[in-house]
Amino acid sequence: MIEIRFHGRGGQGAVTASRIIAIAAYEEGKYSQAIPMYGTERRGAPLTAFVRIDDVRVKERELVHNPDISIVLDPLIAKQQSVVDNLKAGGLVLLNTADEPKDVKLGGDFKVATVDATTIALETLGRPITNTAILGAFAKVTGLIKVDSIEKAINKNFPGRIGEMNVAAVKRSYAEVKGPVQATVATAPETKADLHVGGYGVLKDVSAWRVFTPEIDVDKCIGCKNCWVFCPETAIEWDEETKKPSIRYNACKGCGLCANECPVDAIEMVRVEA
Amino acid sequence: MSYEVMVGNKAAAVACKLARVQVASAFPITPQTTITQYLSEMHANAEWDFDYVNVEGELSSQVVVQGASRVGARTFTCTSGPGLLYMYHPMQGTGSGRLPVVMAVVHRSYKGMQPDHSDLMSTQWTGWSHIYVEHAQEILDSMLMAYKIAEDPRVRIPIAVGYDGYVLSYTAEPVEIPDQALVDEWLPPNKAMPSIIPDEVDQSTFGRGWGGGDPQARWKSHHDAILGIEDVLKETMDSFEKTFGRRYGNGMIEEYKMEDADCAIVAMGTIAGTCKAAVDKMQAQGKKVGLIKLRSFIPFPDNDFKEWADKLDGIAVVDRSICPGKGGPVYNKLRSTLYDMEDAPKMLQFHAGLGGKEVRVHDFEAIGDKILDYAKGGKADPVTWV
Repeated sequence: MIEIRFHGRGGQGAVTASRIIAIAAYEEGKYSQAIPMYGTERRGAPLTAFVRIDDVRVKERELVHNPDISIVLDPLIAKQQSVVDNLKAGGLVLLNTADEPKDVKLGGDFKVATVDATTIALETLGRPITNTAILGAFAKVTGLIKVDSIEKAINKNFPGRIGEMNVAAVKRSYAEVKGPVQATVATAPETKADLHVGGYGVLKDVSAWRVFTPEIDVDKCIGCKNCWVFCPETAIEWDEETKKPSIRYNACKGCGLCANECPVDAIEMVRVEA
Repeated sequence: MSYEVMVGNKAAAVACKLARVQVASAFPITPQTTITQYLSEMHANAEWDFDYVNVEGELSSQVVVQGASRVGARTFTCTSGPGLLYMYHPMQGTGSGRLPVVMAVVHRSYKGMQPDHSDLMSTQWTGWSHIYVEHAQEILDSMLMAYKIAEDPRVRIPIAVGYDGYVLSYTAEPVEIPDQALVDEWLPPNKAMPSIIPDEVDQSTFGRGWGGGDPQARWKSHHDAILGIEDVLKETMDSFEKTFGRRYGNGMIEEYKMEDADCAIVAMGTIAGTCKAAVDKMQAQGKKVGLIKLRSFIPFPDNDFKEWADKLDGIAVVDRSICPGKGGPVYNKLRSTLYDMEDAPKMLQFHAGLGGKEVRVHDFEAIGDKILDYAKGGKADPVTWV
């Protein structure tokens, strides 16, 4: 049995990716199980999902605790040692990062492969949904499932233009993935970050959730207050004297609603360099 | 026949389509919600001819299917946890009216969002039959069988098919979808049966009291009708296998690797699957412990358990629910079933998976070790919280 763990954020499509792998595996005559870890997930919040692939029907229903493969859809989460926690010795971690595998700082006995899935997603889909932009890389470096089966599974579930765009992302990630190479850091560092950031924006610092950061051009701003009204996290402060907004960045998850609602395009979404 | 990798909730919706449900009504509640979404989508796409009635709450959804069932429609509703509680009152009417409603109960704990069986367990006095299932294929198959059994003129009792939220409702796995023509042939349309309520009960009030007559007769006839389900359920499992090629034990229970077992673990729902994986490991090590998966909690498989108890040294009962202050419902029911036996097997009670706590393969291995040791005269606590 092969067990896979996905790490990502709400909106990056980890759950969909887990299902696409399960469908593709089944297309090849294997049994599969795709398990989402449901809690209070929403766009931007760190989450996990799991896949089991076996030659016989999978019986157990516990979560995956010792994966053979860890797949990370988010470049900031990819920097955290927790993504290789309890990975089987000699296992594989596939990261969404622009870094070369040899430059990855995660430590332990496993192989590392990398692909810049965010750039691929932005260039093929126009938005940072990185799931399909990592599945081609998965097919290439694991050899577990043929890339054709993944494309077939995508087309089956997303017929038409959306399917075509995602298949293009799969093809690019298949071509551009680097590695796998043995991890260069042999032992895990002692300090670990908490992956499972819960709670709402008003209670916790969600800065790390952003793929894009809103920046306000106060000279362009006409003081209409639309951004202040629409911000779902109350991350926009309003200055009654100047009639201008400002952003509390630790409460902003980078959803882009403010930029979308601004009638004079005074808010620009700037990509965060991971 | 076709295959699809689908989540448990979709398997329930596909079963509605295959059964050609005529009236569905439900109010969305996590983790049942996506059933209502799949049904709404199927309705919008006119995948078959049915009414989907939007309502403002679960009480109304139960009343809608109750009325539709009374005039002979095949009906479906579904809910979870607190939604089921809100439905408690009209569930009594559906039971007393002997209406063959089928309901999916996607388990959600009262002490949190995650699954345990406390929701459906707390409705055991509504006069419904309760089936607990393990995986997505079993959801689809059990719902088809539930219509066949509920609508049988010998039964006419509503059936709740319970399965664990999240763990099963949102997990995707391969499911075989039988051909529509085959289902149509095996499951003919439902018919209204206004005279199903026996003469000693006032038919004009659909099984409720209205003065006069023997007030106890209403409960007795209802109780007897539910006891009568066992034969029909077993017969239906046989004919299901003949037509579709799959079976789940005899319908009441499903044994797993019990051939050489000295001891049995009794479990329901998804954790029974995890228990199967543990039984595989334990038997490979020469440990003689198997699984008896309990499918039908109401009616309870008294006869099957009595037969098994004759051959077993020990039974470990794993309850995924609890009546606070009283204990596990399956454990207490089974213990009272075996009370009059001479040389009854030794029994241990386990609580596992309550409030959605994860139950792992090694938990079942520990349960297996405990009951094997206890059956041989070892010491053990009578109740263990896993």
